[in-house]
Amino acid sequence: MRTESFLQFSAQDLASIAPELVLAAAGSLLVLLEAFAPRTRRWFAALSLAAVGLSVAFLCAAPRGTTFGGRLDTSDLSVLVGIFLGASAIVALLVAKPYLARAGEERGEFYALLIWGHLGVSLMTRGLDLLVVFIGLETLSLAFYVLAAIFRTMPASSEAGLKYFLTGAFGSAFTVYGIVFLFGKSGSSRIDALTALGPVADPVVLLALLLLIVGFGFKISLAPFHAWAPDVYQGMPTPAVAYLSVAPKGASVIVLYRVLTAVFQEGLPDRLQGGIAALAILSMSLGNVIALAQRDIKRLLAYSGIAHMGYVVIALVVFGRDALAAVIVYFFAYLVSNAGAFAAVAALYRDETRPHPVGLLAGEGRRAPFAAGVLALCLFSLAGIPATAGFMGKFFVFKAAVDQGFYALAIIGVVNSLVSIGYYLKVVYMLYMREPVEDQGPPPLALSDRLALGLCAVGILLLGVFPAPLWDAARQAAGALIPFAP
Amino acid sequence: MDALLGDFVLTVLVFLPAAGSLLVLLTPEARPRVAISVALAVATVEMLLSFTLWHRFDPKTPAFQFLESSEWIPALGISYTVGVDGLSLVLLLLTTVLTPVALLFSVTHVTRSARGFAVAFLMLETGVIGTLAALDLALFYVFWEVMLIPMYFIIGIWGGARRIYAAMKFFLFTMAGSLLMFVAILYLAARHRAVTGVWSFLLTDLYGSSPGGGTEMVLFLAFALAFAIKVPVFPLHTWLPDAHTEAPTAGSIILAGVLLKLGVYGYLRFGIPLFPEAARAAAPWLGVLGVIGVVYGAMVAFAQKDMKRLVAYSSVSHLGLVVIGIGAFTTTALSGAILQMVNHGLSTGALFLLVGVLYERRHTREIGAYGGIAGVVPVTTALFLVATLSSIGLPGLNGFVGEFLILLGTWTSAHRWWAVAAATGVILSAVYMLSLVQRVFWNPLENEENRKIPDIRASELVGAAVLVALMLWIGVHPNPLLERIRPSVETVRGFLEKAPAQAASAREARP
Repeated sequence: MRTESFLQFSAQDLASIAPELVLAAAGSLLVLLEAFAPRTRRWFAALSLAAVGLSVAFLCAAPRGTTFGGRLDTSDLSVLVGIFLGASAIVALLVAKPYLARAGEERGEFYALLIWGHLGVSLMTRGLDLLVVFIGLETLSLAFYVLAAIFRTMPASSEAGLKYFLTGAFGSAFTVYGIVFLFGKSGSSRIDALTALGPVADPVVLLALLLLIVGFGFKISLAPFHAWAPDVYQGMPTPAVAYLSVAPKGASVIVLYRVLTAVFQEGLPDRLQGGIAALAILSMSLGNVIALAQRDIKRLLAYSGIAHMGYVVIALVVFGRDALAAVIVYFFAYLVSNAGAFAAVAALYRDETRPHPVGLLAGEGRRAPFAAGVLALCLFSLAGIPATAGFMGKFFVFKAAVDQGFYALAIIGVVNSLVSIGYYLKVVYMLYMREPVEDQGPPPLALSDRLALGLCAVGILLLGVFPAPLWDAARQAAGALIPFAP
Repeated sequence: MDALLGDFVLTVLVFLPAAGSLLVLLTPEARPRVAISVALAVATVEMLLSFTLWHRFDPKTPAFQFLESSEWIPALGISYTVGVDGLSLVLLLLTTVLTPVALLFSVTHVTRSARGFAVAFLMLETGVIGTLAALDLALFYVFWEVMLIPMYFIIGIWGGARRIYAAMKFFLFTMAGSLLMFVAILYLAARHRAVTGVWSFLLTDLYGSSPGGGTEMVLFLAFALAFAIKVPVFPLHTWLPDAHTEAPTAGSIILAGVLLKLGVYGYLRFGIPLFPEAARAAAPWLGVLGVIGVVYGAMVAFAQKDMKRLVAYSSVSHLGLVVIGIGAFTTTALSGAILQMVNHGLSTGALFLLVGVLYERRHTREIGAYGGIAGVVPVTTALFLVATLSSIGLPGLNGFVGEFLILLGTWTSAHRWWAVAAATGVILSAVYMLSLVQRVFWNPLENEENRKIPDIRASELVGAAVLVALMLWIGVHPNPLLERIRPSVETVRGFLEKAPAQAASAREARP
């Protein structure tokens, strides 16, 4: 066995990590430009977009396989998830420029932190070593703790920063605790070493996995680890929320899938399965019911996100190749609908420093037809109405559940979808069936806003009507992790 | 035109309105009439196109015609498969006729956000035609749900005073039913895969794949609930009076004329063929609910003070009659039930239209506010009277044929007493409808405001006249419809009579 070291790496290793290197460099460049050439600010967004685009291109071009001694993955799964993450970052960046300009906060730090956070998420999904995953997770977290509090003069923003930091640190502690136990049992921090621990895991391994689920449960705002999400979303700049509410959640679920499939190839043990199913049911029900009572659109979307993670976790309970593929499709659908919804919210509210009551959207269907139309489409998609991406996401998840005999979960899932319609329609009602309450309409729509909203709308309809290519790609990608069917 | 469309006539019919809605978006915002006129033109082309379907349709075969099939999500065996038989053909034509009628009425009466209205209406038509043509369960479900959104907007934006409540109730009720059906569809497909090894959502593949016994009953109930809410079958009807009353006139015409029928259609197309055993077991209950619906709907209708609400409750009663016909299962009763759906679409469509005519002039739907206006608006009165007589089943008009067939078919079935109860419904309908006519058009003219009501306008008249002409045509010459319906009826009966094990032989219809 050859000795391994993080400090020895080949050209291949370097090529495979090029996507992350680009991001790291771009982030550093942005901070430097901010400090020494602040007049270039208007190019920051374009620069960030280029970096993210280049990073995704490098990832797609990278040779498939593992590098860094089997610690960094470049499989079809990582590439597809990388595209998903890149797309989330692009939507967030497109919205960020006009948003920050309106708030008078267009600074390099925002873009740099977003890009570094994106780097962390990217590393999380590609890491085949729990330490790499953890480093990615912490990079993401640190960047977004700061992003949450970036509006320094706004109390809600500081509150968001502190809350996210405290709960995030708490969650990270769970994660690292779980990693330590796994390391203790397997003697290695590598994920493929976990295979020796299954398929009948002893209590310590189960405890470790439970800790990981709790740790990542915080990151994906799964009930009962969700309490931070509404407050943080409310105080964080909306474009950053568009990213935070989508990409890190997708990455976290992929990591959980990686670890769980390494330990249990043939399916989860009953106790673990029951536990995760309980979390799924709790998250769906709690998220949807509490969302009904929300008056602030960002809090409403936060609770809707909690509920959506419940649907996703159903696919974790079901376990298997089709279920993993369903998760991927679900997250693509969630990206276009949820990031689209936040993008529309960013474009529809004039004053960033105040709360975002749903009531302020009254009559915007006529005053801002494009942004309001996209918001309505995103909400219908989140509600899972057919011919939208959201329906297809739910379709594949529930199909996997029914196929494997989890009827109760599927039924609880659809009943929850019904409940969710109550609050999504409340927003649509405001948009189209009420007269405006404020004289001042929404801010003028910038070109990049239009682009972001248009991309999300096209994505929603395209995935909703022609889901087959994505499903095939997702199934192939899932095969990288779970070669056997189903 | 046939040569031009080749074998894609159904696809064109399904997507033409949706494509037309893009055309509507090009019209200027400030000219509401232009937007709706464009939509009207699209809907008229659609109607003419659907007439070619009627002519090319072969009434002798029970098989699906104008079949088209292509892959949609091949990994799961989900296909874009469309086709029509007699059952879907007549409902499809009803839709393509009622949509331009409703739009024609709206040209002069919808002024607020007319573009949105026109787009919603055309999308609704696409949804309805797609639902009627889809032969793949996943495709069917997509269209079935897609119908909800435009209707939600039509009620919620252009509706009456309590439109928000009505729109929400409509949406939640319908969605509640269909979500369980969604799980049941997934179950059927998963079971088909477990048995045959391949995924398929194709209706004809899934025939006979029901597991039988208690599971079949659960699946059947999941489907039946979705359809029963749509019809609506008592006691799931409470959304209907609100939605119909609050919807704008054009919305009520489509809602009552077409959307309700899709519940019955779904039951006949999917409920019975997929779960024949359970459908058989449930038939007596269905008939009883139909009887309750007939009598209850009629009694509540009689007590209404609002014209539109009265017509809405009359729908509960009339659809109850259709439900009885389906519960009876005889060829005659089933044919009558399907024909009666068309009849109800025409007569209720006309009634809602004419109530709309009065409402647009007096801005009240209260029956007490009218009285004695027969001399003031003679043409409206005449048309209203014909629609009323059609609705209560006067011989010579279409309603008589349908009701008579249902009563006859039910009398010869195992449940003779249903026919008795259904017949009281027919009598009751005469009571509340004629009393409505009496109170609105005849009684002494006491309110001075009623003297100045202008009579029906040309654009309103054309639509109403078309419907009245169709009532007469079906009334005296129902055979072209009946002979097209007959093979579908025999197919449905075939499913019921065969033991579930043999139902698999029905796969001959497979495209």
